[in-house]
Amino acid sequence: MTKNLAISARGLGKRYRLGSSLSGHDSLRDLIQAGARSLFRQPAKDPKPRAEFWALDDVSFDIERGENVGIIGLNGAGKSTLLKILSRIVTPTEGTARIEGRLGALLEVGTGFHHELTGRENVYLYGAILGMSRQEVDRKFDAIVEFSEIADFIDTPVKRYSSGMYVRLAFSVAAHLEPDILLLDEVLAVGDFTFQRKCMDFAHALERKGATILFVSHNMFSIKSMCQRVIYLKKGKVVYDGPTDEGLKVYESDCRLAAAPWFYPDAGGKRVSITDIALRDSSGQDRSVFDFGEQMTIQVQINALDEIEDPNVIISITREDEVHCGSFSSSMEGLKIDRMSGVGTIELTTPPLKLVSDKYTISVVVRERGFEKMLSAQIGTSFHVKHDFLSETAFGVFYEPASWRIAEMETRSKQA
Amino acid sequence: MTNPTNLQTLNRLTASIENLRDGPHAARPVVTEIRPTKGLFDLELEGLWPYRELLGVLVKRDIQILYRQAALGIAWAILQPAFSVLIFAIIFGHFAKMPSDGIPYPIFAFAGVLPWTYFAEALRRSSNGLVSEAELIRKVYFPRLLVPVAGVIAPALDFFVGLVILLGLMLVYGVMPTWNLLAVVPLLALAGFQALAIGLWLGPINVRFRDIKYTLPFLIQIWMYASPIVYPLSLIPKEWHWLYSLNPMVGVIEGFRWAIAGGTFNVLPLLISVAVGSVLIVGGLVFFKHMERTFADVI
Repeated sequence: MTKNLAISARGLGKRYRLGSSLSGHDSLRDLIQAGARSLFRQPAKDPKPRAEFWALDDVSFDIERGENVGIIGLNGAGKSTLLKILSRIVTPTEGTARIEGRLGALLEVGTGFHHELTGRENVYLYGAILGMSRQEVDRKFDAIVEFSEIADFIDTPVKRYSSGMYVRLAFSVAAHLEPDILLLDEVLAVGDFTFQRKCMDFAHALERKGATILFVSHNMFSIKSMCQRVIYLKKGKVVYDGPTDEGLKVYESDCRLAAAPWFYPDAGGKRVSITDIALRDSSGQDRSVFDFGEQMTIQVQINALDEIEDPNVIISITREDEVHCGSFSSSMEGLKIDRMSGVGTIELTTPPLKLVSDKYTISVVVRERGFEKMLSAQIGTSFHVKHDFLSETAFGVFYEPASWRIAEMETRSKQA
Repeated sequence: MTNPTNLQTLNRLTASIENLRDGPHAARPVVTEIRPTKGLFDLELEGLWPYRELLGVLVKRDIQILYRQAALGIAWAILQPAFSVLIFAIIFGHFAKMPSDGIPYPIFAFAGVLPWTYFAEALRRSSNGLVSEAELIRKVYFPRLLVPVAGVIAPALDFFVGLVILLGLMLVYGVMPTWNLLAVVPLLALAGFQALAIGLWLGPINVRFRDIKYTLPFLIQIWMYASPIVYPLSLIPKEWHWLYSLNPMVGVIEGFRWAIAGGTFNVLPLLISVAVGSVLIVGGLVFFKHMERTFADVI
């Protein structure tokens, strides 16, 4: 081999059938009924015509050993399907892939754990499921238990574990797999902040050892810190494959706006739409990463075909884990307008951002007469807050330095 | 500012991973080819070998779980066949005066019930296994064939516990075991082979149509009465033996009786049993392999 390839995929495709005759019937009874119906009549108005859906379509790429590649794309773009094909859980409909090296896939931590078994038994079970030999688990057992921090409970059935203990033990096993190639789905890191952090550090440690990592994530911050290269999937196809910075730009401009899932326009309501949400820094540059304490200018483009009475534009900031961090309201903050129509921009400059470093999303709602009627809602651009001394492990929503005082305690300071 | 325990953990993780990576596997790169199915007989059986340890672990897990929660534990392995034998002995042996080829009826019935109980449980597990492992199949790769194979191996433990009881019962009735008894082991393997052959068909169907789960107990019950368990093969007219023996369990059970209590050895049912089982298992492997590709999509 001239090149040192870890993964080489050629024309991978995965087709799913929607509403087809087979997948639609979940019990034999349905199949028999459908069969009987088609015998006596012409196919009774087939509910759904046979539709095909290519979850992945002609995907090719080469990944060299030691390379870290981020897979990005909206939900349903085929990211998980790709990981599932590479980890051999599902079979491709067409195309081939060649994988050189031991592959570890962490699509979900702890599947395969059995509730009735003790922690110790589950370590061996899960280890075997992930592809470790018994000797290998024997050798690593102490390290696994020590890392999981649940040594006292290792002989307790895992059904008595808290969910945190469960995940820690499972992850600890997975972390000691030492694969040459790691497929990592960030979905597994959802929720627990510490755990997410552990995942990332685990990946970094492997990276230092020269492992190849394929990383699916929605968090552009993690992608940026992990990967030099991204593959951007859109509707099952590779639309970008190259350096991360450029890829993220393509991606971010593609998914600037998404309709708010909770917004249903009134029938016959006023026609108002939010056409763009842009984030700029104080010099007017488009930005997606802001420093802690920096001011941010949010420009909202509104197209009001009908006149809005007493408009109220509300801009909210939501953290990635759906924590609502705060909102600004134009009418509450003194922007009094009686009527507004046409196409134009509304601009908000935030106070210095004191949010801890994380990923945030802006959403914009246009209301009429204060809070009376919702005319339009849009979930918009995301941004990251970067912080020099507060790492991602800082808890909470905001940070502001405070002043401290100690009273009535003996204190001693080291003299310089 | 940051949580100190997190930092400690992180350092520990990093250290522990770095210490561990002595990587013997790094020296011999494993090459995996991923591709669509090649053809009907593309069984990829060679891919099973690296997973032999996982098979052992799955079997061990099944056995552990089986007895972990049951208050009577291993006693169930005895109680289940013992009660069947008791009922059969009273109804068929005592009241109906069923012929039993000169063997005391309880021994006769036990020698039939024991392999049958194993077969029924092995069939149940190999047919339902894929569905009960759905979570695993959706998230982790391993040769799916391990599931029915493990399902056939795990209930063998119950069988051997029951066999000890049967030996005790034989002493009570004054039936002396002979060297024939050694034949029990290959016959058990044959029973497992039959269960796997059918499980390979029913398992994938069960993934698509959960009806199998409800049909199976019914099927097993009917099948039991179609097998020479409460009655001897000699009750069937000789000229129909070949047809009756198409039930692959006939040869197994008759072989068992011979191994336990001696008498004449019927070769024909055993040969038919092996032949039927072989046809079923080859077809089953092809069918299973063909369906396996879609398990993760439809399960």
